[in-house]
Amino acid sequence: MSTPNNQEVLKRNNVSVKGKGNRPIIFAHGYGCDQNMWRYVFPAFLDDYKVILFDHVGAGNSEESYYNKEKYDSLQGYADDILEICHALDLKDVILVGHSVSAMIAVLAANSNPAIFSNIIMVGPSPCYINNNGYKGGFEQEDIEQLIEALESNYLGWASQMAPVIMGNEEKPELGEELTNSFCRTNPEIAKHFARVTFYGDNRDDLKKLKTPTLIIQCQQDVIAPLEVGEYVYNNTENSSFRIINATGHCPNLSAPEATIEAIKTYLEEAD
Amino acid sequence: MENIEKNSNLKVHESAEELYHEAPCGYISFTNTGIIYNLNATLLNWLGYKREEIIDVVKVQDLFTIGGKIFFETHFFPLIRIQGFANEINFEIRKKDRTTFPALINVKEIKGSTIENNIYLATIFDIADRKKYEQELLKSKQRAEKATRAKADFLATISHEIRTPLNAILGIGNLLSNTSLNARQREYTEILKISSGNLLSLVNNLLDLSKLEAQQMKLEKKSFSIQTLIDSLIHTFELKCKEKGVELSAELDSDIPDYVTGDPIKLNQVLTNLIGNAIKFTSEGYIRLVVHLMEIDSNYIDLEFRVIDTGIGIPKDKLDTIFQEFSQASYDTNLEIGGTGLGLSISQKLLELHDSKISVKSQTGIGSEFSFQIQYKVYDSANAKARQIFEHLDSDDLDSVRVLVVEDNPVNIFIISEYLKEWQIKFDTARNGKKAIEAVKSTKYNVILMDLNMPILNGFDAALEIRNLKLKDQPAILALSATSRENVQSQLDRVGINDFISKPFGPDDLYKVLSHYIKTRPNMPITIRSEEELQDSADLACNNTASSEKSFDLSRFVKMTLNKPEFLRKFVLNTAESFKDYLNDFRIATDQKKPDGIADLIHKSTMSVYYIQSNKIVELLRECQELLENKDCDQADLQIKINKTEEEFKRIIDGLNETDFDVLIPSDNSDHK
Repeated sequence: MSTPNNQEVLKRNNVSVKGKGNRPIIFAHGYGCDQNMWRYVFPAFLDDYKVILFDHVGAGNSEESYYNKEKYDSLQGYADDILEICHALDLKDVILVGHSVSAMIAVLAANSNPAIFSNIIMVGPSPCYINNNGYKGGFEQEDIEQLIEALESNYLGWASQMAPVIMGNEEKPELGEELTNSFCRTNPEIAKHFARVTFYGDNRDDLKKLKTPTLIIQCQQDVIAPLEVGEYVYNNTENSSFRIINATGHCPNLSAPEATIEAIKTYLEEAD
Repeated sequence: MENIEKNSNLKVHESAEELYHEAPCGYISFTNTGIIYNLNATLLNWLGYKREEIIDVVKVQDLFTIGGKIFFETHFFPLIRIQGFANEINFEIRKKDRTTFPALINVKEIKGSTIENNIYLATIFDIADRKKYEQELLKSKQRAEKATRAKADFLATISHEIRTPLNAILGIGNLLSNTSLNARQREYTEILKISSGNLLSLVNNLLDLSKLEAQQMKLEKKSFSIQTLIDSLIHTFELKCKEKGVELSAELDSDIPDYVTGDPIKLNQVLTNLIGNAIKFTSEGYIRLVVHLMEIDSNYIDLEFRVIDTGIGIPKDKLDTIFQEFSQASYDTNLEIGGTGLGLSISQKLLELHDSKISVKSQTGIGSEFSFQIQYKVYDSANAKARQIFEHLDSDDLDSVRVLVVEDNPVNIFIISEYLKEWQIKFDTARNGKKAIEAVKSTKYNVILMDLNMPILNGFDAALEIRNLKLKDQPAILALSATSRENVQSQLDRVGINDFISKPFGPDDLYKVLSHYIKTRPNMPITIRSEEELQDSADLACNNTASSEKSFDLSRFVKMTLNKPEFLRKFVLNTAESFKDYLNDFRIATDQKKPDGIADLIHKSTMSVYYIQSNKIVELLRECQELLENKDCDQADLQIKINKTEEEFKRIIDGLNETDFDVLIPSDNSDHK
């Protein structure tokens, strides 16, 4: 396939640009959701930053037709997309915020083109989810297979049954059209493939190559990215700061948006 | 009486708490962090825990298996937070004794003063039984899909198998109808031809359908002219309509751009089917094709196509079924009108590839209207440049330009003629290679558009003969062919064809090449070849000389005829005649893809081959036979081999005809007899 032009890149990743500031801050969503993940966080940055939101290909309102198994068989495929978005919007001095798997995607993007990124902010990062050789990622291979099974059975009961519920959601008009088309449209095959690429990935070596100043935001109790994994990331990343926030679960951007915003802002102020 | 009173007392005294705890489903409440702060007795009972083991201790996600936990963190919780609820999510729930049961969970978010104070209320249904049915259904679905795939494969294989002998029947039918026949025999052969033709189109449809179902069909992106496509369609069907006394017309909105980018072949297939159907079902009145521009912006253009007829119409209750395979409005239709009932189904599937579908309006006795919409890309300007270069040619240039179109297919002639007329280029047409040579002898042409596959004299031979005429002003010869360029490049070089336009081509393809050759006219014909190509053709030339030396050897003949020139002459010329017949047999066998035909030919020619020691042709024939026997062989390889064999045949025939007997048997030798 030929390389998409700028317009096509923005459409492919359902990119939206908001805010009054000049300095670009990109919010990259993690596995399982789409840019809606950031709905409680990004408004706090609109006054001072140029806020860029997008959906990874296969998620949310991205153009599914761009999905191809070879390109997205490693996280580098997703990282290349971020670089293309930066290029399409002619961004420099970029702050890249990556939640969950997007923390590693951010590492790959910054390693591919360090010049355009000024800071990386990782929210709940894990360079490797599966325990191996003394490294504790928190999961065994079978656990991930179970997730895939959970996905399969849920797409049976979910994609078909959830769609009309979400579509006909009249009580909550503020959810807007992005929601009516988001979750329910995720292609189960892509979700399963992305799960494998995410949870079977090992980016520990890439972490060591990262030179961009980085903040690691760690939740107190996170099954997906436990505290010791966060510490591993901190100990193996040059120029990094570590911040444990008062939040539980894997999605502080949804469960504790205030704490997440505060951590990001404090870091950026100190960095400047 | 007492009983009823007791019951109603019970009802009155049933508290909300009792309702909560004794409900036939599980209730559970948890905080923003997942900590469970309340659950009902039903659920506790299912789980096998004591209340104090759960409350304020266990998180809701801890009740799930590990896969469910990840799913909760990555999908479920974000979903609840984003939309405020989540319904019918399926989780495996783990009991205290580590066994699990499948459950459906509905959750509702109750907003607190801050997000941290949000609470979540959930119901849990045990769906163990339902899950079993679901599993069974899933298995049945997988089985059914597998069976359907197997059927489609079978259909594809059998269609392919049928096509081979069918081609033979058609071919023989055609050959038969060219022999002298009485009226009755002629009628029979006509029926034979029509029936086998119908059968072939059915089989081709089946192949299309199985390809569509296996999702092997892809949309092409070519630039093409809607106007030209419609013109050629009307041209194709004009005669048929005239015969039936039905009026056929096309109306195009005038603001439809000249060119669009999309798949012209699929559009043509759909419209051919719809118009063909309309003609079948209309015996008086008209058939009208309307193309309407719906919307256009700088990137896309939306067109609506409507085929309207005044035919017999379709009863209301049949409107849904006509798109199903093998279905026509009535069984009688099939008997009266014919057709396979596959056309609409294929058209519908072709439109599905375009994210479109056919709509139909119909009234019995009044007529039908089939319509669909397609979005095409607007013809991009990069290609338009070729056209501009062309338009900038001086009118003086155009005045002196003359093009010869050599093509046997009348529809193709029509299309190319329309293009050339539009560009105001003067041209003549020739229906085969032989006619082309005659034309070249009498008129000066700057460019010859040469179809490669024609009866009587094909494009390669015609080009070679034209080059051999050693004309003072050599025309540029541009080949038109549906085979890929790589397959014929060496042959193109050999016969001096300058360039190649692959079929089917759009106007811009033709523009580009034509304008280039008209511009570079004074220097024609110079083809610049890369080093590698030169090396290739050098190799080819060597091969040619080497092989032509080996094509045959007359020494055995000379011995046999005891040096009598008159005998030798007779032998040699007879052998040349035989080889002409063999070539003919070879062509029939390959046209019909019959390996047996070639085996017969090898057998039949054994003696002639032996006399003139033409072992190379036997080798080639064997290779052809092997390729034909292999159903999966590459068609391009086969074609190359066939072409090679034909060349070898011609080399032998020409060589034999040009034999210089005086050299073989010097006259002084004959004096000594």
